[in-house]
Amino acid sequence: MERKNAAAAELQNVEFEYEKGEPVLRDISLRAEKGEWIAVVGESGCGKSTLVRLLNALLRPRSGTVSVFGEELTERNAPLMRARIGMVFQNPDNQFIGETVEEDIAFGLEGLCLDLAEMERRIERYAHRLKIEALLGRHPGELSGGQKQRCAVAACLAMEPEIVVFDEATSMQDERSRRELLEVMRDMKRQGSYTVFSVTHDAAEMLAADRIWALKGGFVRADRTPDAFFADEELLGDCGIELPFGLRLERRLSALGAAASDGGAAETGAKQAGEGGYGRVRHRQT
Amino acid sequence: MFGIGRHKRQFESSGDRGIEDRDRSGSEQAEASAGRGTFEAPGQTDSAAEREIVIELTDADYTYQAGGPFASAALHGVNMRVRRGTLVGIAGGTGSGKSTLLQLLNGLLLPTGGSVRVLDHTLLPGMKKPKLNALRRRIGLSFQFPEQHLFEDTVEKDLMFGPLNFGLPKEEAQRRAAEALASMGLGEELLLRHPLTLSGGQMRRVAIASVLAAGPEIMMLDEPTATLDSAARRELIALLARLCREEGRTILMVTHRIEELLEAADEWIVMHEGRAVFRGDADELADRADELAGWGVAVPEQLRCWAEWTARLPQLAALPLPRTADDMALRIAEAVRGAEISARSGNVRKPFGGAGSGPTHLLGEAGSGRPPAPSDKAESLPRAESVRRAEAETIGERGINVCATS
Repeated sequence: MERKNAAAAELQNVEFEYEKGEPVLRDISLRAEKGEWIAVVGESGCGKSTLVRLLNALLRPRSGTVSVFGEELTERNAPLMRARIGMVFQNPDNQFIGETVEEDIAFGLEGLCLDLAEMERRIERYAHRLKIEALLGRHPGELSGGQKQRCAVAACLAMEPEIVVFDEATSMQDERSRRELLEVMRDMKRQGSYTVFSVTHDAAEMLAADRIWALKGGFVRADRTPDAFFADEELLGDCGIELPFGLRLERRLSALGAAASDGGAAETGAKQAGEGGYGRVRHRQT
Repeated sequence: MFGIGRHKRQFESSGDRGIEDRDRSGSEQAEASAGRGTFEAPGQTDSAAEREIVIELTDADYTYQAGGPFASAALHGVNMRVRRGTLVGIAGGTGSGKSTLLQLLNGLLLPTGGSVRVLDHTLLPGMKKPKLNALRRRIGLSFQFPEQHLFEDTVEKDLMFGPLNFGLPKEEAQRRAAEALASMGLGEELLLRHPLTLSGGQMRRVAIASVLAAGPEIMMLDEPTATLDSAARRELIALLARLCREEGRTILMVTHRIEELLEAADEWIVMHEGRAVFRGDADELADRADELAGWGVAVPEQLRCWAEWTARLPQLAALPLPRTADDMALRIAEAVRGAEISARSGNVRKPFGGAGSGPTHLLGEAGSGRPPAPSDKAESLPRAESVRRAEAETIGERGINVCATS
């Protein structure tokens, strides 16, 4: 039933509207391969969150089809397919259910009807992977924002989904937690067993992805690699994205000829700028 | 995305403060116009020293459940003074006391030690809960998840709630609602929508617009830019900078991205474990960049890049921190050229060659309105207060230019 080389997710001519006559998504056709990391970007209100909610049938398209692992999502198979898709939201407070972190992770596992030994094994494994062993007995209210978000990711991954959707999961985090979470996402990428969608406004997160889907006014504005995406300034403007400071400086410098000149000093300077921060992120991914 | 027209409308809206002025006492009016006066004459850069202090904390402490068995101190001996019309950035890690500080300033909490003065109200430990309606009318507060304080059934009603509550007529409240929405870059078609049908980013902007609509003298915003896209973030900060520079409003903004506010903020406060461990401007912050990590604050990109370049080209260290990427690129280009020339002529002691005038000229063309910096000698470029201040005055304007073209 499931085709071998099927896309992890595929949207064909998808239209969606919350209210009649106000389309949010128009004629969307996109395809994500297994193991890919896709960053979904665009200005607020452009339909990013709507798009990822179509992938696990939280929302249904008005027309067109959404397929996951080669199977078209229908009312009938939606519950089964949802088990293969995990979601992590912006505000972790909105998805905590348990009295302790451990209970919270177990809640999702109970839903999968796993036996006790398997539940314990998974809790241990994912708590270890996200470095939250010490937090298992704590009430979610005692945790910092970053810790909460790591626990939310652990609860999601413990269900061993094949697709994981991060809906602005880093946006409410402070700088340090944001980096930590990004590192967790990179780890998932390295393992290769996940297809990741991340809805984001964060340039570092976009640069770490394999591909960027940009939406504008409900249409697909671009579907490119991060390098091609960040090279197109008009496109960036359309999507409400500004270059991170380091990249902006690098570009200004080469425009001024300071980085491009063959003078030894200038060249090492440009190289240093390239190796710093965002440049590093980019190189590591390629 | 954001048209220039919207900015124009915002400029015009500064006229509507007449109504507020009528409610106020004569002396307050004089203060307010003094605040605005300083903006009108940006050349007099040292007038900042004469501006009235609107917020003053003296050895302020705050302990949660003071005296009880679970007492935990949130603030220790915080001293700070904020003058009218300044944009203050407040940074700090999780649990550093940033949010407690904002609640003290709004009179939501009383200090448990020291004193807190905000405008003409002084809050002291143990005093009877004072009547603060008059104070709160002049202070706008936006919490960390501002979308959670949307409660009406249309966006317009939500935006009108503050103005109506403070006694403005309906038409005026409506006008302010529309203006506030436009200044957040949202279209009028949203006015009749239910707030819960908006996207996350739109909700957040509406919530901040509701604070703007009430037209407070002092605005306190707790991470207003989280979850906004980067262009919207820059737009919001440019708007805040304008409210400070043009209307003399005082703004305190908590952020965990120092980077985004570094260009616009006049002053910084870094909180760590309940203490204000740093107070000063961006240059002073740059000097202590290596301490930031210890305070649980990420080093902003500007400081990281600048530190990298000053390590390579030591003559840059004498310059004030350039606030924008354009500016920083020009300074670096000048220094690189200077270094090349001195290398060629074998004169190592002359870091800045005549070539430096090229980029400076370019800067003038870019229309930043900034006086060209002297570029003959490193010694003539100390932390030139006047240049830096003049720079600060034009930052708001430059922010607009950048946004309008994006």
